[in-house]
Amino acid sequence: MDFAYTPEQETLRDNVRTFIQENVTDEVRQEIEDLGIRRRGPKVRELYAKLGERGWVGISWPREYGGQDGSRIDQYIVEEEFARAGITVGGAGSGAPAILAAGTEEQKKYYLPGLINGEISFALGFTEPQAGADLASLQCRAVRDGDEYVINGQKMFTTAAHYASHIYLMARTDPEAPKHRGISIFLIPMDTERITVRALWTIQNEPQAPAGTTYGDARTNEVFFEDVRVPASCLLGEENTGWYVGAMGLNLDRVGASRYLISVQRDEDIVNYVKENDLGGMNLAEDSSVRDRIAELWTEAQVCRLMTMRSMSLVEKGGNFTYEGSAEKVFAPEHGVRTTETIAQILGPYAQLLNGSEDAVEEGVFAHNLMGSFQSGINHGSTQVMRDQIARRGLGMPRT
Amino acid sequence: MDVLPNEEEQMVKNLAREFLEAECPPRLARDMEKDDLGYPPELWKQLADLGWLGISLPERYGGQGLPLTYLGLITEELGRAIAPVPFHSTMVAALTIAAAGSDDQKQDLLPRAGRGDLVLTWAFSEENPRLLPETIQCQAVEDGDNFILSGTKMFVDNFVAAEKCLVACRTAPASDAGAGISLLLVDAGSTGVSQIPLTTLAKDKQSKVNFNSVRVPKANLVGELHQGWPVAQQMLDRGTALLCAQMVGAARKDAEMGIDYAKNRVAFGRPIAGFQSIQHICADMILWVDGAQLLTYEALWKMDQGLPASMEVSQAKSFCNDKCEAVVRSSQVLHGGMGFMMEFDLHLWYRRVTAWTMRLGTSFEHRSRIARGLLDQPGHVRLGMNLEVPA
Repeated sequence: MDFAYTPEQETLRDNVRTFIQENVTDEVRQEIEDLGIRRRGPKVRELYAKLGERGWVGISWPREYGGQDGSRIDQYIVEEEFARAGITVGGAGSGAPAILAAGTEEQKKYYLPGLINGEISFALGFTEPQAGADLASLQCRAVRDGDEYVINGQKMFTTAAHYASHIYLMARTDPEAPKHRGISIFLIPMDTERITVRALWTIQNEPQAPAGTTYGDARTNEVFFEDVRVPASCLLGEENTGWYVGAMGLNLDRVGASRYLISVQRDEDIVNYVKENDLGGMNLAEDSSVRDRIAELWTEAQVCRLMTMRSMSLVEKGGNFTYEGSAEKVFAPEHGVRTTETIAQILGPYAQLLNGSEDAVEEGVFAHNLMGSFQSGINHGSTQVMRDQIARRGLGMPRT
Repeated sequence: MDVLPNEEEQMVKNLAREFLEAECPPRLARDMEKDDLGYPPELWKQLADLGWLGISLPERYGGQGLPLTYLGLITEELGRAIAPVPFHSTMVAALTIAAAGSDDQKQDLLPRAGRGDLVLTWAFSEENPRLLPETIQCQAVEDGDNFILSGTKMFVDNFVAAEKCLVACRTAPASDAGAGISLLLVDAGSTGVSQIPLTTLAKDKQSKVNFNSVRVPKANLVGELHQGWPVAQQMLDRGTALLCAQMVGAARKDAEMGIDYAKNRVAFGRPIAGFQSIQHICADMILWVDGAQLLTYEALWKMDQGLPASMEVSQAKSFCNDKCEAVVRSSQVLHGGMGFMMEFDLHLWYRRVTAWTMRLGTSFEHRSRIARGLLDQPGHVRLGMNLEVPA
């Protein structure tokens, strides 16, 4: 075992921090504040272009597609530092892992460089009104017609649909097959005719949480497909293997820098806050109950960190981490909720003040997390589904 | 960065498991609960022959000089097998002698400890069991070539089996120059030493030990006079990290017994492992043990690297206390009434893990240390940074 990063990795981390200090200026932050990080304005586009030049997006991808053949741990370091600055870099939601694993040469050459330079981004078209936790029961239909597929159906909670360039769509291609074996994945430009996007506003709306501070964007979407015709070359992997292609991406979505950080950053915040502030003369850092709870949460946060490191260690060695990833996806989100709810009891009525309110603490992040932290335990596989997976895949217990 | 055991480490762990599965059945733990000595000398000798006792002792003194992580992995497997041997107490004392003892002391003691010819223990806790220098009332005063030691130590592990005991005692009042603590290696058979066995939840061998004007030669001072607190603190931290490894090993085995039981126990017409309510308990047990194990490995690794590890040790022990306890209790619950039966082995694990949560620092004590590291020194904190409990 070895719990240290190499000197080269420490240097990489320093370089990324310096880059962030120099390039993530107040103007960039304002643009992110105004538009959200994934909906890229001109300044953010410029920032991503610089990142691409440095080779920091897709470090672990093959060189021929614009990557560096580098280590996943290097990639994790870059992603963590940027996530701490409220900026999403790479990450599994990019769709890249599945494209690398299942894409055609042409798809890899088209999508991967586009993901690196920021010109391409995906909205994840998985969930439907009747298919959430039971995703494999999805009904959105794709029918082959010559060199095309015709798509009809509805997707739900498609968060990035109003700014992503493409949708990473799961649709049913064989309604007769067992439900997991009749699904395919399509990569489709969002500007394709007869795709319509309708806004769904979340409880994080009005006022919005400060960028990158919690789960749950102010806006998500419904997406409708009415006789949408796409070329057959949009298919990713073989027809009817979409469940398995998608699982690769989902596994990676459940782990990694951004979910880890969103689950533990409030731990850092509350420690730093009580050290440096008092509430009308009351020194919370001296309160023995507060001290005990903060120490307990800090320890749990370390477990989140170590579980993330464990998944990274396994990925780096090319190992399977289905059970370990699920473990991380239970522990970290539930920890985030415990922290958020404990902070409410530490700060009392101040923890209800939202972004922009008079006397809001830390721009209201603690209040916004009371609406957002439990989201992390719901999306990309609920903690209940994750526990099912731990029991069945990790412990060999039977299906119910 | 690879937080999992490497190939060599895994091999050592696997070999330890294979040996203990063959040679150390639960019956042994059960038998030793009623034994006066508390351990089978034949098994102890076998462990020595396998090289386990010397695995992390210095090569100069007959050990193998392997990293502390190896000792941790062996301790984890001994915990898994709830092996009734005075391994933990001997290793804690021996590693302290290796770290702070004189060359003569090391020459004299470490090869014997590694060969299995010397059972050791250590004594810190007193009537006030908090692991702080101010709780130390045992006093040693200089008298020519000797110290005269008086006082009472509580919860001394394996005292009846030990030939020598490393005793933390007061030789000076606490002052700016230090806490006034010294460490003396006392022969358990010295005149004036008496012990009362304690009847414990784990039915292990702990004693209340009285030192009544015991003469201890000055040559038995380990480390510097009056400057023993940092050495004792290191000893406690090392002992705590190893105890965590022992808890992790035992709790994982206990969880596995619960999971196996659920797969075989039929109720409502099916194995209860088919019910989600049972599956989710099992998933949580494994999550908790995994977390405890990762924290423990990090603490051991940092110690081995010579890095400050006080925060990591306290993180590991507070989490082990809460979560390993939750694991063994959950496994009892999964077993229903069967787990409550004396003839069924499960309670052997439950009683030990539960008892270990109270040894070498409660959750409150360790979280109080973590809070000091987080809150009582200036500067922003960030997860993954090196933090230390302030002196």
